[in-house]
Amino acid sequence: MISNSGKRIKTLELWAAKIRRNVVDICMQRGGYAGQGVALADVGACIFFDEMRSDGDGWYHDRFINSNGHDTIINFAAMVEMGIYSMEALRTMGADGSTIDQSPIEGARGFEITSGSLGTGVSQAAGIALGERMKGSDKRIICLLSDGELHEGSVWEAFMFAAHYRLSNFVVIIDNNDLGATGKTSDVMAVEPVRKKMEAFGFKARQINGNSIPEILESFEEARSTKDQPYAMIADTKIFTGIKVYQDAIPFAHFVGANGRWATGFLKWEPGWNEIIGTIERLENELAALDSSVSPISCFQEKIPIEDSESKTFGDYIFESTGFDNQSTILSG
Amino acid sequence: MLLELQHRKMVPAAFDDISFDLCNRRKNVIMMSADLAHYCDLYKVTKDLPNQYVEVGMAEQNQVGVAAGLAKAGFIPVTSTFGSYASRRCFDQMLICMGTSKNTGICLAFTPGISSPAPIHHQGTEDLGMLRAIPHATVIDPMDVTDFDQALDIACDTPGLVYMRGHRGTTPKWLDPASFKFELGKTYPLRTGRYIGVISCGHASQWAVEASDILTDQGVDHSLLHVPTIKPVNEQEIIDYCFAHDEIVTIENHQISTGLGGLVCEITSKVGRAPRITRIGVPDSWAPGGSIGHIRKHFTLDPDGLAKRIAGVKA
Repeated sequence: MISNSGKRIKTLELWAAKIRRNVVDICMQRGGYAGQGVALADVGACIFFDEMRSDGDGWYHDRFINSNGHDTIINFAAMVEMGIYSMEALRTMGADGSTIDQSPIEGARGFEITSGSLGTGVSQAAGIALGERMKGSDKRIICLLSDGELHEGSVWEAFMFAAHYRLSNFVVIIDNNDLGATGKTSDVMAVEPVRKKMEAFGFKARQINGNSIPEILESFEEARSTKDQPYAMIADTKIFTGIKVYQDAIPFAHFVGANGRWATGFLKWEPGWNEIIGTIERLENELAALDSSVSPISCFQEKIPIEDSESKTFGDYIFESTGFDNQSTILSG
Repeated sequence: MLLELQHRKMVPAAFDDISFDLCNRRKNVIMMSADLAHYCDLYKVTKDLPNQYVEVGMAEQNQVGVAAGLAKAGFIPVTSTFGSYASRRCFDQMLICMGTSKNTGICLAFTPGISSPAPIHHQGTEDLGMLRAIPHATVIDPMDVTDFDQALDIACDTPGLVYMRGHRGTTPKWLDPASFKFELGKTYPLRTGRYIGVISCGHASQWAVEASDILTDQGVDHSLLHVPTIKPVNEQEIIDYCFAHDEIVTIENHQISTGLGGLVCEITSKVGRAPRITRIGVPDSWAPGGSIGHIRKHFTLDPDGLAKRIAGVKA
C-alpha cells in the first residue's frame, strides 16, 4: 500500500489538475491534443512529481521516454510547473516560427528522442535501459506509448527485446484509451487483450485505471519490485477525464481545433477552463486543511533559466553538433 | 596510394578483424546484429567480447532503435545487416532515431548494391540516394579493406547518423595503408590522365581499377577518382576534377539515379558548362541473381565491358 497516502495523493491530484490546466491553456491558442493531455495528467503527475528520482542537479536521475508525440503535451505542461518552460512560450505551440513543437525533436529541453513517428520510441527506450544496465547504473527507464501505437510492428520487436534481455529497469506505460487517429482502436484494429499480450511477451503486467493516482502509484511500486523482467502498466484512460464538460461534449477526439471543433462535434473552452480552475482551488483548499505545503520536488528548486531553454532552434543544435555548415559551397548539404 | 598489381591481395573475412580491433581499442563501441552476425563476418566480437555485442534477432527496425538508445546511454553502436534491409526496412528509424540526434550511430550495410547473389530482395541499389537525402547524415561507400577500416574508425568520432556500406567475405586490399589516409569528404585520385575522368565509389572503384588496367594497356587517356564519402563530399574537389577533363564517367554499384552519378551532376550543375557526364551503374531495372561476375556481365560492368564503355565516350 502507498505510504503517507492522503497528503501524497492529494498533492499529486493537484499537480495533475495543474497539468490539465496547462494543457487546456496551450490548446486554446491553436488547438492541440487536448483530450489525451487531460486524460494523461494523472499518469504525468505521478511520473514527473513522484516516481522519477532527482539527479540533484536540476533534472532527473531516471529517464522518461515519451514515444507518442501527441502525448508530449503532458511533458510540456509538467515542465511549466518546474519552471523549465514558460506558459508564454508554450502558447506559441503550432505557430509559425515557434520553437515549441507539438511532437518535439530530440534536443528540445526535456526531450531525449524525436517523437512523432509512432513506435520508434519504445526501441530507443529499451536500448537506453540496456545501455544503463551495461554501465552498472541503477537508472530506471519509463516509456509511455499509446494503444494505437501497438499497431506498429516495431513496438513488438522492442517488447521481445526487453523481455529477452530481462530489462527489469524498464517500464512501459500503455495509454489504453481505445483511441486512434480516426476512430476507436477496437474498431480500427483491435489490440486487446493488451495485458495478456504483454504477459505473453515476457512482461510483468498490470491493468489499472489510469486516472486513479493510488492505482498508478501501486503499479509503479510493483514495477520497482519486479525482478528479471520488464514491466507493463496498462493504463485505461478515457480522453478528457478530469474535465467533465469536455468529456460530455466530445467523448471522442484526436486533435481539437482552436475553435474547439473536432470532426464529431465541438466543445467550448471556457466552461472547461472554469471547471479545472475550480478543481485546482478545491484541491489547494483541501491540501491547506491537511496542513500541507505544495512545492515542486527538490530537484527543481533551482530552476533552469528559461532563456537558455528557448533560445536555440533545432537547426542551431544540429549544426553545432555536426560542425557542418549547411550553406557551404564546399561541403554538400 | 593504389598498390601495384603484384601487391594487391584478397583478405578473407576482413570485417572480423576490423570489428575485433575496433572493439578492443574502443571499449564503448557496441557491435550489433539482426541475426546475421556470421553472414557479415562478425565472429570474434560475438565470441570473445560478449559485453560489446548486442543481438536483436531478425528485427532491423528495432536494431536501429535500440542502437539509438544505446547511443543515448553513452555508447557508440554499430548496427550490421545486409544493405537491402539496412536501408529499406528501417529508413524511418535511421532518419528519426539517429538522423535527428547528435549522438553517433553507425549503420553498416553489407552485400550492398548487386553484390548479393539473391536478386532484388537481397540487393539494395537505392541506399546511397536514400541516405544522402537525410540532412547532416554521413554516407560512406569504401572500396576495400583499407578505407573501410579507416572510415569506420573515423565514423566513431562523427556525430549523428553514419551509414556505411560494408565488405564481407574475401575483400580486396588494393589501397596502400602506408599512403592512404581516409578523411571525411576527401576525394582520392588513383590514376592520372586528362581526357576521360572516371569517378567511382565503393565496389565500383574496384571495377574502375580493373577497367583502367585494360584502358592503360590500350593507351586510352583517362584518370580515376575514388570518392568514398558520398556525403558530405568536398564539392570543390569534384568540380576541379570534372573541369580538368573533356569527358566524365561515373561508375557505381548503385542505381544510376540518385547515387554518385546524380551527386556529380548536381554539383557540376551549380557551375554550369561542365563536360558531358556518362553515368554507369545499375540502370532503371531489376538486377538478376547469381554470381557477382554474372550480374556485372549482365549490366556490362565486367572489366572488358566496362573498359569498352569508358573508351566509347570518346567517340
